[in-house]
This record gives sequence, structure tokens and C-alpha cells, in this order.
Amino acid sequence: MKYLDELLGIKYPVIQGGMANIATGEFAAACSNAGGLGLIGAGGIRDTDSLIAEIRKCKSLTDKPFGVNIMLMHPLADDFAQIVIDEKIPVVTTGAGNPGKYVDSFKAAGIKVIPVVAAPILAKHLENLGVDAVIAEGTESGGHVGEMTTMTLVPQVVDTVNIPVIAAGGIADHRQFDAAMTLGACGVQVGTCLLASNECPIHENYKAAVIKSKGSDTVVTGRIAGTPVRVLKNSMTREYIKKEKEGADKMDLEKFTLGSLRRAVFEGDTKTGSLMAGQTCGQLKEIRPVADIFEDICQNYEKVKAITIGA
Amino acid sequence: MNFEELKEVIVDTLGCDEDKVTEDANLMEDLEADSLDIVELHMALEDKTGKKISDEELANLKTVKDVLECINKAA
Repeated sequence: MKYLDELLGIKYPVIQGGMANIATGEFAAACSNAGGLGLIGAGGIRDTDSLIAEIRKCKSLTDKPFGVNIMLMHPLADDFAQIVIDEKIPVVTTGAGNPGKYVDSFKAAGIKVIPVVAAPILAKHLENLGVDAVIAEGTESGGHVGEMTTMTLVPQVVDTVNIPVIAAGGIADHRQFDAAMTLGACGVQVGTCLLASNECPIHENYKAAVIKSKGSDTVVTGRIAGTPVRVLKNSMTREYIKKEKEGADKMDLEKFTLGSLRRAVFEGDTKTGSLMAGQTCGQLKEIRPVADIFEDICQNYEKVKAITIGA
Repeated sequence: MNFEELKEVIVDTLGCDEDKVTEDANLMEDLEADSLDIVELHMALEDKTGKKISDEELANLKTVKDVLECINKAA
């Protein structure tokens, strides 16, 4: 089995999740410089010029590999796909859907394609289309989530495909990393634990809310509208869930959340903002440098590798 | 592939009622398929017919009739 660090030519087998509005070019560069794979999250980027600017910024700050995450529900997803080809980005991850239609053009451009999947069936389909690896992301994670847990999803994806599987969702320290590798993963993707890093460009109030939160403080909004998103509970989520139960239609609910992630990230509005976070929030106790977080996560890597090789 | 054969695959993969599967039934609205069901249907159809259908083609299909025409057109 090929491990993620070998596959991507990086120090630690860890990908930084492509968090919309949070994973800027500067943050991605910081994560790549710290030894993981940094990702620019295109999900919150509003126009093509801004994505190009973030990519150039990242290139200016690191000589290590980095990638771009394309959120497939984004109205500019087609344009963003073309930009990553033009800018010769080495790795692309995709989220929130089936990236099948882009795979051929990415492969032709020599880009490593690593979609996020929340079900074994999609992993199988994408393997047939020729993707390089998949990120199996369980519902413990923050932001857009599926139904299966990491504990059930990762081994089932591993059994279904012959390409490397990266585990995501519920991983924030070495215990969960070791468990993920035991489930058959070749590496991990993390997001929530990086919210509690010095380099993360979110508002201080957002970081403080993550540090203060308990593991049971997250909730999933949008299950009814078909866009489930895990966030920290606050006045916004209470109101949203009330509206959902009252049968508010999709458009109404969308208006309700419009701009809420930006309010959380940039303005530090912890009451009406959407504080996306996964269930690992309860184990984060301090703000640390990204390099320390990666080192902690991977501290048993060599030992775990010795056990899991050939498994 | 004829309509009856397609119907069988649809009932099997989507787990929906047989009498709901008409030519005009909309996959997402009438048969309540989600995006993962569509992927499963896609793979089942390719397995059954040995034909290749691109994701892009499949994304534009709305009804059972659309799917049938697409498969019979595919090489």
C-alpha cells in the first residue's frame, strides 16, 4: 500500500481540509510549509480572479505541493476546474457531490484527483473513472456532511476500492490517526483541529467558541433541505432548526443562512454566524502552531505503519 | 434494453415501488432518488449493458424515458 506522504511527496500523511472562506492561499501555504498538504478552499470564493489571486499568493509563500478544493455545488465549479488546470495545481480535491465529469480533464493535465466521498458506492464509481485516491469523510466532520460515520465508512470504502483511501471526520490527534490507519486508511484529512491553530485566519471569537465547545455542542442543519451542514449550536442554528421543523421551504432556509459563514469567519459573530466545526471540537483545548498539530497527529506513524503494512 | 428491463434495474437499485416506475416518472422527484442512488443506478446500467455512459450525460437525464433513450443510444 502506498501511504499518503509518499503519494503526494509531503512530510506528514495529512491533508488540510478545504474549508470554505477559511482555507485561504496563505493558510494553505502555512499547512504545506508545516509538512502536510495545504488546500485552498474554493467553496467560499466568489469569482475567478479571486481564486487565481489565492493560488498565486500560495505559490509565492511555499515551494511545497499544495492543492485546491472545488466545492461542486458552487455555481462557478466549471470555471474553477479550468483554473486549476491552467495554473498547474498538483492536487485537486472535490466535495459535495459527484466530480465524474471533470476527472478526464484533470487526469489529462497530470493533476492528482482526490474526491471526498461519503458513501462506498461513489468511491467505486470514481475509481472506475480513474481518480488517484478518495477521501472517505464521516459525519463527525464539520461543514457539509454525509450519513455514515468514519468508523463504518472507512473500512467499507477500503473493502470496495483498490486505490488509496484517506480518512476524514473525527480526527484531531494521534489516537484517532492511529485508529484511522488501523481501519485501512493511507493517511488522514483534518479540518476542525486546524481551526484552533495560530495560522488559521478565522476571527478570534470563532477560535474561542471552538476551544470552549464540548463534543456534544455541534448540530446538523439542513438535513431536510438536502444540504446537511455540521455547525456549533447558537441562536442561528436554533432558529434554523425551528424553521425546518415548521416546514419552511428550501429558498427560505437558504436566505436564512446566506452570508452566515462569512459573518462567523470574518466578523466573529458567534450568535448569528455559521460556526462550522466537527465533533472533535470538544477535545481542542488550546491554540497551537499547525506544525505542532501535525506532529502530534502523526507521532505514532512509524509504529502504526509497521503494524498495518500488508494488512 | 427495453422498458421492462430498465424498470427491473431501477426497482432493484432505488428500492422504489414497481408501479411508480412509468416512462414519464422523474427520477429525483417521483422516484425520490438522491445523488447516491443515481450513481448506483449508473453503475448497475453499465454492468448490465456493458455500455459506457458519461457522468455528464447522465446528469442531464430527468425521466425514466430519458434514461432508456440514453442507454440505447450509447455505444
